[in-house]
Amino acid sequence: MLNQIREVWKYRYFWMSLVKMDLRLRYRGTVLGIGWSLLNPILMTIVFCIVFSSWHENADWRSDAPYFLCGLAIFNYFRDAITSGCQNFFRNESYIRQCPLPIAIYPLRTVLGSSIHFMISIGVVLMTLVLLLPGSGIERLIYLLPTLPAFGLLLILAWSMSVLAGFAQVYFQDMQHLADVLFQVFFFLTPILFKMDLLVQKGVGWLGYCNPVVWFLDLIRTPLLTGTLPSLEVYAWASGFTAVVLSGALIAISYLEKRIIFHL
Amino acid sequence: MASIQLDNLSLTFRIRASGKLTMKEYVVKRLFRGKITNFVEVPALNNINLCASEGDRIGVIGHNGAGKSTLLKMIAGIYPPTSGYRTVNGRICSLFDIALGFEFDASGWDNITYRAYLQGETPKTLAPKLKEIAAFSELGDFLDLPVRYYSAGMLIRLAFSISTAIEPEVLLVDEVLSVGDLAFQIKARDRMQEMMKTARLMVVVTHELPTLDKICNKAVWMDHGTVRMFGTVDEVRKAYIRSVDPKGDNAKAAIAAKEKVVAA
Repeated sequence: MLNQIREVWKYRYFWMSLVKMDLRLRYRGTVLGIGWSLLNPILMTIVFCIVFSSWHENADWRSDAPYFLCGLAIFNYFRDAITSGCQNFFRNESYIRQCPLPIAIYPLRTVLGSSIHFMISIGVVLMTLVLLLPGSGIERLIYLLPTLPAFGLLLILAWSMSVLAGFAQVYFQDMQHLADVLFQVFFFLTPILFKMDLLVQKGVGWLGYCNPVVWFLDLIRTPLLTGTLPSLEVYAWASGFTAVVLSGALIAISYLEKRIIFHL
Repeated sequence: MASIQLDNLSLTFRIRASGKLTMKEYVVKRLFRGKITNFVEVPALNNINLCASEGDRIGVIGHNGAGKSTLLKMIAGIYPPTSGYRTVNGRICSLFDIALGFEFDASGWDNITYRAYLQGETPKTLAPKLKEIAAFSELGDFLDLPVRYYSAGMLIRLAFSISTAIEPEVLLVDEVLSVGDLAFQIKARDRMQEMMKTARLMVVVTHELPTLDKICNKAVWMDHGTVRMFGTVDEVRKAYIRSVDPKGDNAKAAIAAKEKVVAA
C-alpha cells in the first residue's frame, strides 16, 4: 500500500493540474463564474429559511440560516462524492486506456474538486455565523479547531466512497440512478431541514444515530453553532466507519485495478 | 536499460456478445435451460514469445485484427496477461489512439503540460523543454486554442512532439503517424532515427511497408494473435507480402507507388 501512495505522489503534478482545470472549466462561459459556488448554497438557505423555519419552535432565521447552510454543505459533499464518483472511471477512460497510472488518482481528482467547493461553502457558513450572531459569532470560530480532524476524516471517507461508487458503476450501470434516488430519500431522513429532536420525538431516533452524515453533522455543525466540544464517542464512530470504508476501497482497488479495463 | 521480455504470453477477452439480457429473454432461456449469459471468449494473443533489448526498433505488421494493437497495449502494461509473463524495463511512452489523453477544453499549451505530467515530468524538468516541443509541433498560434478545434493531424503533431521530447526509454507507437501530412511524416521519421542513435527501444505498428526499414531494424509478423515470424525487416516483409499476394503483382505495384511518394 505504501508503494501505491508513493506512485500517486509521483504523479502529483498530473492530478493537481487536472483538478485545477476542472475548477476552471466548471463555470466556463458563465458570467458569475466561481460566484455560483457561493450563490448556490446561499439561495437554497434563503428558501429554506422562508419555507421551513416554521417546522420547529422559536424559529429565528439568524440561527437557522447557518444551520441549514452547514447541513446542506456536508450533505452535498457526501452526495457529490458518490454521484460524481460513479462516473470516475468512465470519465477518465482515455487515460486508463493509454497509461497504466495508479487508479486511485481518478477518484482523487473528483473528490478534491468537490472538496474545494465544500471549503467555499464552509467559508460562507463561517461568515454567516460571524455576521448573523454578533458577539458570540467570532468566539464560535475557535470551535473550528476541534472540528478539523473531522474534515480530514470526511476527505478520506469521501475518497473511499468515490472509489467504491466508481467500481460499482462499472459493473452495475444502474448504480448512478439508484444513488440519485437514494440520496433524495436520504435528504428527508437526515436532520438538515429539521432538528434531530424531531426524529427522536417521532420514535425513529435510530434513523439519525445510524446515519454517517449525522455523525459528521454532529462533529462539524454542532460545535460551530452551539459552542460545545464535539463528542469523542461520535469521533470514534466516524473514525471506525471511515476505516471500514477505506479498507473496502483499498481491497477493491487491489482486486479490480487491473481488471477494470476489460469492462470499460 | 530498456528491455522487453514476453514469455508465453496469452490474453483472452471475455466480452458480452450483445447488449444486456432483457427480463423476457432471461425467463425464456432459463425455462428452456439455455445459456443465460451471452459472454464470448476472444483469444486475442496466444503464446507470445518476444525479446527486445536496447537499440531494437521493432516494426509490427499483420492483417487487421491480428492483435498488433493489443500486443502494444500489453507491452504498455494496460492489459494484464491471462497467462505468461511480461517484463518491461524502462520508462514507457505510448502513442495509441490520436485523441486519447487530451483534455479537449484546454488549450494546446495546457495539454502539453498535462501530457508531460502524465508521463512523469515535473514542472522543473518540463520548463526548458516547452519551447522545443512547441517548435517541433509547428502549430504556432494554434497552441492557444482549445484542442477540440484541432484536426487529427494537428493532434498527432502535438502528441508526437510531446512524447518524443521527454526522452522515453521505451516508445510504443500504434499506426497513428500516417495521419500527419508529408512534412510531418518526414520530420517524425527523422526524429525516430535520431532516437535510434541514443539507443532506445521502439515498437511501431505500421501498415507502411516501404518505410519499415527506414525506422526499424527488426520486424514481427502478427497473425491471428500469434507471432508468425520474427526477424529482420527484409525477410519478414517479404514473407508477409508473399502470403497476402502470392502472385506479387498487386502488392509490388502498391508498394512501388508508395515508394515514389516517399522518395519525392
